Amino acid sequence: MKKFILLIILTILAISSCEKDDICLENTTPMLIIRFNDTDNPTEKKAVNSLTVWAVGKDSLYTNKSLDSIVLPLNLNENNTIFKFRSDEIIDEIDVTYDRKDIFISRSCGFITTFENLQFSSSTNWIKGYSINNTIIENETATHITIFH
Amino acid sequence: MKQLHILLFFISLFFNVVANSQQKIDTVTFKESYGLRIGADILKPGISLFDNKNKGIELTGDVRFYKNYYAAVELGFENKTSTEEYLNFTTKGSFVKVGINYNAYQNWKGMANEIFVGARYGFSFFNQTLNNYIPNIKGTYFTTNQIASGTEFKDLNAHWIEFVAGMKVETLKNLYLGTQISVKKMISTKEPSNFKNLYAPGFNRIYLNNMGIGFNYTISYLIPIIRKNN
Repeated sequence: MKKFILLIILTILAISSCEKDDICLENTTPMLIIRFNDTDNPTEKKAVNSLTVWAVGKDSLYTNKSLDSIVLPLNLNENNTIFKFRSDEIIDEIDVTYDRKDIFISRSCGFITTFENLQFSSSTNWIKGYSINNTIIENETATHITIFH
Repeated sequence: MKQLHILLFFISLFFNVVANSQQKIDTVTFKESYGLRIGADILKPGISLFDNKNKGIELTGDVRFYKNYYAAVELGFENKTSTEEYLNFTTKGSFVKVGINYNAYQNWKGMANEIFVGARYGFSFFNQTLNNYIPNIKGTYFTTNQIASGTEFKDLNAHWIEFVAGMKVETLKNLYLGTQISVKKMISTKEPSNFKNLYAPGFNRIYLNNMGIGFNYTISYLIPIIRKNN
């Protein structure tokens, strides 16, 4: 009888301790990947000198970095996010517009937001042009927008 | 008849050696009750008292149909709100489980306790309501608002099998206290679109590998229908 009760308790403990699905291992909300290419040679990467990036009204995401690609979070409470890109003291304003779609992932990860109908516009001070590589942001495996400078 | 048995009993005490060598004389016949035992889980209403997001009832019944074999059924209703890290949902629905128990306990004559193992087939039909969620983001650069979804997913269902083990003890005449644990494996579910059945009535929390556990504590009453010599 005692052995039986012990068996029940051990079984409950064994099963209840296996809560592996409490840890979110899948993806979270994807971010916008921007790549910087040379405007004279559009297939070649070209790092931006002393790049500082921030969203309007927010702290900077990158400060005086020399980078050829950046990853930016998008505002989930709005359907657009405005960023400022500063290179060598010249500022360009970038407006990213999108539709949001929430997708269920799992118990531990909950929902993530993906973005569709991605639109992009930019002033052209140091930025000379851009192209949208992918209008859907579902993951962070490839570039979504290429900026030429 | 009864007097004869009592007499035989005392005779057998005095003539122990004789009785041992002639066991047939010593056999005392006890009648065992076969009948319908009905009961209720007291754990679920108990939890409801302390946690108003977790309401439920479960009724149980079993019939001894052959020697140590019992046909068993459990049915009930649940209305439970579950809170996860990024979401909150309510599951509301009914369930029924049918199966058999095998009593592995060798009772002394006249006793009717059980230590049993068994199996069940379970079915439940329910609605899920996604109350609210927060999209899962990396970092804290932008703050995200909680989204009050309120989406109701109707007409969902689940089928599963269970292995159960437990015991029932006759505490008063025909009144049993019982406890049972079950390990469950989901067979199939009808899933909501862009959400998932994370909880099913009767199955409880659905773990990642489609496993589940359950536990109940019952009070049941045996309605004797026939009394049979064993």
